[in-house]
Amino acid sequence: MAESAVQTNPKLRSQFLDVTYVNNKTGHEVVALKNINLTIEEGEFICIVGPSGCGKTTFLNTVIGFIKPSNGSILLDNKKIEGPGRDRSMVFQSPSLLPWRNVLENVMYGVELQKRATPEIKKLAVDYIEMVGLKGFEKHYPHELSGGMQQRVNLARALTVDPSLLLLDEPFSALDAQTREFMQQELLRIWSETKKTSIFITHQIDEAVYLADRVFVFGARPGHLVDDIKIEIDRPRDLKIKRDPHFLKYVDHIWGLIENESSKQGFDS
Amino acid sequence: MKKEDAISIGKINHKPRKISKNQRNFIISTVSVITFLVIWELVSYYKVINPLFISSPLSIVEAAATLFVDPAYWNHIGVSAYEFTFGFLLALMIGIPIGIFAGWNQIFNAVINPFVSALYVTPKVALLPIIIIAFGIGITSKIVVVFLMAFFPIVMSAQKAMSTLDQNLIKAARSFTATEFQIFRTIALPSTVPFLLNGIRLGLGQGLIAIVVGEMYASTAGIGYHLTHAGQNLKTAEMFVGVAVIAISGVLLTGIIGLIEKRFSSWKPE
Repeated sequence: MAESAVQTNPKLRSQFLDVTYVNNKTGHEVVALKNINLTIEEGEFICIVGPSGCGKTTFLNTVIGFIKPSNGSILLDNKKIEGPGRDRSMVFQSPSLLPWRNVLENVMYGVELQKRATPEIKKLAVDYIEMVGLKGFEKHYPHELSGGMQQRVNLARALTVDPSLLLLDEPFSALDAQTREFMQQELLRIWSETKKTSIFITHQIDEAVYLADRVFVFGARPGHLVDDIKIEIDRPRDLKIKRDPHFLKYVDHIWGLIENESSKQGFDS
Repeated sequence: MKKEDAISIGKINHKPRKISKNQRNFIISTVSVITFLVIWELVSYYKVINPLFISSPLSIVEAAATLFVDPAYWNHIGVSAYEFTFGFLLALMIGIPIGIFAGWNQIFNAVINPFVSALYVTPKVALLPIIIIAFGIGITSKIVVVFLMAFFPIVMSAQKAMSTLDQNLIKAARSFTATEFQIFRTIALPSTVPFLLNGIRLGLGQGLIAIVVGEMYASTAGIGYHLTHAGQNLKTAEMFVGVAVIAISGVLLTGIIGLIEKRFSSWKPE
């Protein structure tokens, strides 16, 4: 522990993290995460995969600050996370855009809540709207956009607050297969332009391998870290690499791990 | 493109001129009303039904012409308008904050909910005898009745609106370090507008009923008063003028709410 702390200065460090919550219906205590130890370096793209109930969303909710650890802690830039902060932003599974605000106003929403909405930031917002490929749609309302476009707005909103850590909670899970693949490629392009440290949650393994520098595999009940796999595939990555044997080997390996985890807990989930 | 334009300019458009659906429906509605009036006039003229009961469109117009030049009648309209405006504004000013706060704060909601639910379904006109005793037969008692009738639909709608907030939006706001007040201002308030306007529309109808019933029951002036009097003196046409004045006021006020609704929901899908 001590020597690694001296040697590296990670962006995010989760140490001895336990998260327990009380189920509202049954009143029982549920251990969602047990002893999570991991570090994430500056500029890394991390994907977390695992069977349902493995606590991957709980982990993300703890990083954003919605949930307090019952044991251990998460440090971002060596500062303990105590609640939501300006240094993090999240792209949600549902686009969660304000329906009465147009694209630009929605993208400005985050900075507006943080009382930082200056003309310079507005220019930045316009730049991000262009980067996510929505130039010309600034005045459109969410209902006029497709699901993929709404998620682009969601991404632009998260980027405009200029977080040092970007969290993405299954952002493409509601999209159709083709849009999804396209959005993965787009996300990598945007990420390579912004170089934001990112944590991306998904249950689609090929998505994780395609996007990530490292894939964390979580196991269930209680949620724990099973493996940390470095994806050694050169960037920029084309969608074609998804058919590459090298790529498929990673997918197979992770499949095996998850299958193993699932069989441990039976098929009740 | 250019070529096509040139062609279309030179040629006569053979397609039949299409009118929009709105225009078509407006024409149908107009014809429907005119037909109704003509039948009414004929039924009355040929005494199919005793004109004492149903009057006739022409006699109503005639009665309206005499009434509208009479300052006394304008006084009646003025009194009713005053009572309605005062009572309704009071209902808005008190009802909206109470409803919103009840929807926002569960404890406050638990305190007032039994009263609101019970009084919402109570016919407030049943309280008229007490209201008259307490506030007299003048303007004040009518203001109270209008207020009571309009208040509850407004409170209920505001409360309902707040309880149907999109939790995903709130979660997103919180992730951007939003305060409770910011969530209230940027999510809760805009979400309530459509519900609120619906409640206001309901309250409006109730308020108009309140005016007429209140004035009929005990008063010295107002449209309802004049209407009752006309009825008792078998001046059916004059009575119908009163009915028309109230109906037209209702339509106009609802129209205004419709305009406000349009203003606030310009973002909505057609």
